[in-house]
Amino acid sequence: MNELQERLAWRGISRRGFLKYCTMLASLMALPPAAGQAMAEALARARRPAVIWLPFQECTGCLESITRSHTPTIEGLIFDALSLDYSETLMAAAGHQAEQALKRAVEDNAGRFILVIDGSVPTGLNGAYSCIAGRSNLDLLREVAPKAAVVIAMGSCAAFGGIPAARPNPTGAVAISEIVRDKPLVNIPGCPPIPVVMTGVIAHYLTFGSLPELDRLRRPRAFYGETIHDRCYRRPFYDRGLFAKSFDDEGARQGWCLFELGCKGPVTYNACAHVKWNDHTSFPIESGHGCIGCSEPGFWDAGGFYRPLSAPAGPLKLAAGAVAAGAAVGVAVAIANRARKGAARAAHVTATVADLEKADGGER
Amino acid sequence: MGLEAIPVVVEPADLAAARAVLRELAVLVERLLATGEGGAIDLGVLPLTPAARAWLIDRLGRGEVEIRLTAGGQSTITETGCAGVWWVRHGNEAGVVTSELLEVAYVPGLVPVSRAEVENGLQRLNSGLDGLN
Ligand code: SF4
Repeated sequence: MNELQERLAWRGISRRGFLKYCTMLASLMALPPAAGQAMAEALARARRPAVIWLPFQECTGCLESITRSHTPTIEGLIFDALSLDYSETLMAAAGHQAEQALKRAVEDNAGRFILVIDGSVPTGLNGAYSCIAGRSNLDLLREVAPKAAVVIAMGSCAAFGGIPAARPNPTGAVAISEIVRDKPLVNIPGCPPIPVVMTGVIAHYLTFGSLPELDRLRRPRAFYGETIHDRCYRRPFYDRGLFAKSFDDEGARQGWCLFELGCKGPVTYNACAHVKWNDHTSFPIESGHGCIGCSEPGFWDAGGFYRPLSAPAGPLKLAAGAVAAGAAVGVAVAIANRARKGAARAAHVTATVADLEKADGGER
Repeated sequence: MGLEAIPVVVEPADLAAARAVLRELAVLVERLLATGEGGAIDLGVLPLTPAARAWLIDRLGRGEVEIRLTAGGQSTITETGCAGVWWVRHGNEAGVVTSELLEVAYVPGLVPVSRAEVENGLQRLNSGLDGLN
């Protein structure tokens, strides 16, 4: 048995269980089924790749998402099976010992380690807003990133600035990609991000020696290729113009679309609707709350979680009856916006929340 | 004689993907016979409508073997009526189906035990015997 299998077996995960997990991973990443076997073999063979996890201006929710999504997560175990050489949140060492561990991990694995960062980088006051061991995040990133093989910006703060960068952005927070410009970098946004996306990216890297295909925001296409709306189980209600008007009305009880209650699903690219959360249990819309768009740039400043988007983003397929009854929201607005959306689609550009937000806001 | 007497088979309009699956399965089975190497088709990434899916299940039929695997949740591996083609459904611990494949093989890849596992089994047997001595 190799080291990974031994560790998995010790935690009660058999070879078959692991292979099954890799098959699922390959399927989620739209890779051919044989890739599952290849991934399992590559992960088992791989010299435990060194991972350095730097926490910057963040809330630790991303790390919680990976390590505690359910017990025990295979994501967590694979993560564990990697050589996590530095994570000041998880490691037992503290103070000078921890700093020594970081220095040693960077030197011993120069050019080979995977650098995972959660949190944004404050650039105000020369980075003084967030420091570890007396050094600013900015300083640390500039020193460590050039020696990494790949950089994973984990969560919306690292990927796009997130909440720290929300207006008025008092600390001058920026995304990792603003500082790290000459390294292979993948953004895994979400507040928090879906754990399996990180495992998928790392498994892909270890199996094929490259990052998976990314979109223009450097997100893995396999997980961020479709909107929540594209895969939402409430979509048939949207298409029929059936919308809940408040969280406790008859429509809400019937499971109707949450568009008018501010759902940002139509402009949010993420895999929640099919990968789901808590061991595939559900995702927020299944709990009766609209998508808040947490994996999109600037979601915090997008005008309010309960403020509806101005126009449906997908093709309107309203039944004649629904239109006649005036049941649909903003049909006229939709027509007014169609040209803009059409242009965005033609140029294959993602329409942003700001593009679609109601100018006057708030009315339902 | 009315028009209804003329036999017309109307197939659902969305069968293209299901037909493609059948065709690809035939290629994989031919390869299995020729080289011993099979393959698999991931149903999770195919846009199969419920009607197309039902049609596919119907066409493939049901074989004699059904295997239940308990490893990180329940999986079922069902032999189809076309020997060598297995319908594989993997579930997680919450009972949710996480992936679904059609596997072409003499024996599905997850079923055989590895040499290391047999060696472990032998050790276990021997230690059990030791306890009896
Ligand atoms: S608007 Fe939201 S709730 Fe309605 S179908 Fe789209 S994603 Fe689902």
